[in-house]
Amino acid sequence: MAHRSRAPRRALAVLIALGLCCAERAAALDWPVAARMITGTFGEDRGDHFHNGIDIGGGGQPVHPVLDGEVVFRYDDGTDYTSLPRGTGSFIVLRHDPHIRTLYAHLQAGSLGPVRDRYAANDRIGAIGETGHASGPHLHFAVFDEETGSALNPLEFLPPVPDHQAPVIRRLYARVGDRLVPLDNGAVLKPGKTSIVAETYDLREDVAFRWPLAPVSATISLDGRDVSRISFDSLQVAGGHMSAGAARLAREQVWEPGGLLICGTLDLKPGDSALRLSVQDLAGNEAVRAVSITVSP
Amino acid sequence: MAFPGRKKRPARVLFAAILFIVFYFFLFPYPLGKELVAHPRWAVAVPDQPPAPGEPFATAGGPGISSWQLGDRFGFVQEDGMLLYSGRAPYRVALSSSGFVSYARLGTDWILRDRTGRLVAGFPVSGYPLLSPDGRRVFSVKTDLSGLIELDRGGGALWDRDFPTMITSISVQQDLALVGLLNGTLVLLDRAGAPVLEYAPGGSRVAVIAGDAVSPNGSRIAAVCGIDPQYLVVLRRTDTGYEAESRERLPSAFRREVRMGFSPDSRWVFLEGASGPGVYDPARRSMRWLNLPGPLAAASSARFGRVAAFASLDSGGVTLALEPPGGIAVCREHFTAGRVFLGTINGQLLAGWDGTLARIDVEEL
Repeated sequence: MAHRSRAPRRALAVLIALGLCCAERAAALDWPVAARMITGTFGEDRGDHFHNGIDIGGGGQPVHPVLDGEVVFRYDDGTDYTSLPRGTGSFIVLRHDPHIRTLYAHLQAGSLGPVRDRYAANDRIGAIGETGHASGPHLHFAVFDEETGSALNPLEFLPPVPDHQAPVIRRLYARVGDRLVPLDNGAVLKPGKTSIVAETYDLREDVAFRWPLAPVSATISLDGRDVSRISFDSLQVAGGHMSAGAARLAREQVWEPGGLLICGTLDLKPGDSALRLSVQDLAGNEAVRAVSITVSP
Repeated sequence: MAFPGRKKRPARVLFAAILFIVFYFFLFPYPLGKELVAHPRWAVAVPDQPPAPGEPFATAGGPGISSWQLGDRFGFVQEDGMLLYSGRAPYRVALSSSGFVSYARLGTDWILRDRTGRLVAGFPVSGYPLLSPDGRRVFSVKTDLSGLIELDRGGGALWDRDFPTMITSISVQQDLALVGLLNGTLVLLDRAGAPVLEYAPGGSRVAVIAGDAVSPNGSRIAAVCGIDPQYLVVLRRTDTGYEAESRERLPSAFRREVRMGFSPDSRWVFLEGASGPGVYDPARRSMRWLNLPGPLAAASSARFGRVAAFASLDSGGVTLALEPPGGIAVCREHFTAGRVFLGTINGQLLAGWDGTLARIDVEEL
């Protein structure tokens, strides 16, 4: 079983320490906006990359830093010079510690205001917009640990949002060659390496309709023993490619087209087994799907 | 004892010497440097409306064609001032000397077109396009600035590389792609996308790459890096790779991308400074700053790279400065305009402002 990466824990400690030093508030870190409407989570599949932050909806809201910070880099869409196309639109990167940096992207063009060096936590950075590659106004917020070269799940550092909505596991499959075979009770599989794929997502509590978000982790156990775990706590580059969690899985090893999550690859042995998939969100809500399978030569 | 004859000798010698000097200057005159003057060759109005799809302005001509861009308007012009294409980008445009990709903000498919607007290839990708200056290399920049993909003409990935943090700047020349990162690292990629060099200049309190450039012949790379202090670093290619050639402390503290590049002959680096552009000679380690009234808005060259061209933009308009590095200013003109473009055409300056394009040749008087 893979273990959780150390990077988020270290960064969490740094950020909390910074927050306690810099802000006289009950919470160490604060949300960058007042209305906390999460519309995208860390680790989601974005076609050619993992989503390296969270999306927060609510167009036009003022955006504040999560902590006092120094400006490292900014880009005002349509005004500043750029040598490359920036899908992030207008953005600011702040530095809170020699290695911890936060990104506030898709800000309204022109909302960044005059160039300045520092922002206090209650200063206004800009306003939520939809500059760059954004389908609707939202703030893309990301946390980078430059020492470990990681993007970290911001929800691990921000004050928790009330969430009583468990993730959903709609379907469970085994990948057999180029086919997805539904995994129901009594499913018969061949021995050998088999990927377990799930249509699973977390749900937003504040909307009645289905708004799928990536869960924070998925664990597969076989006959009561955890055999595979994928977690979206950090993203790191390994071999020139972004990978997720401590298991360092590339995007193609985590996501299948259509938003299907590859929960793990099992080495199946002949016999009857109890397979269990547990999917969790950051609040600890859990969805479980258990099936009995037969592995027949 | 007197020697009356000797008194006249100094006068004769002096006369002969003066005569010799006068004749010497007549016979072997020291050539004075010729004065350089800016000579406008032509000016054309950029049409307001692009041609209908499939109706190019003209068939592609020979050499001496350059691209131009003024805000969301872009196109190609021949050295004689004939417009080959003029279009308006729905969102942005990736331009090269041989073609363009005009793309929408949320589109997932791009179309590469040639200089007359004819379709060359389609790319079903989810990033934003970036073309090499000659147009032979097509890249997709991941929209979160985490990576770069080079594409073949069928839209397939030749290579795909992610970086541990955000990309802040990119410069592409021939087989090299130089990527500047938020963490203060420069990554130089070869034609296969493999890192040739990973270099963190360091020395500043805050590490960041604020701008980078690869010289046209690949012999040098340069970057503006760090905050407090900010440095210009130049690396030179050697038999074994690249090594630091010079490091210049800058008076600036840019926290955004800095406009910079090399002269066509790869000898000079130009860069945006705190109060005007700078021209840097890495071999002599000499920097020359120019004072312009507003922030640098465009930079290019004339006279086959021997004269640097800068344009600044302020509320009063555009100031155009033509100065040979280390030489005397050719001209400095101020005119009313809201936007400006500088490029090169046939080694000379292609300038654009508002709705006008002009070729300005710098010649010896």
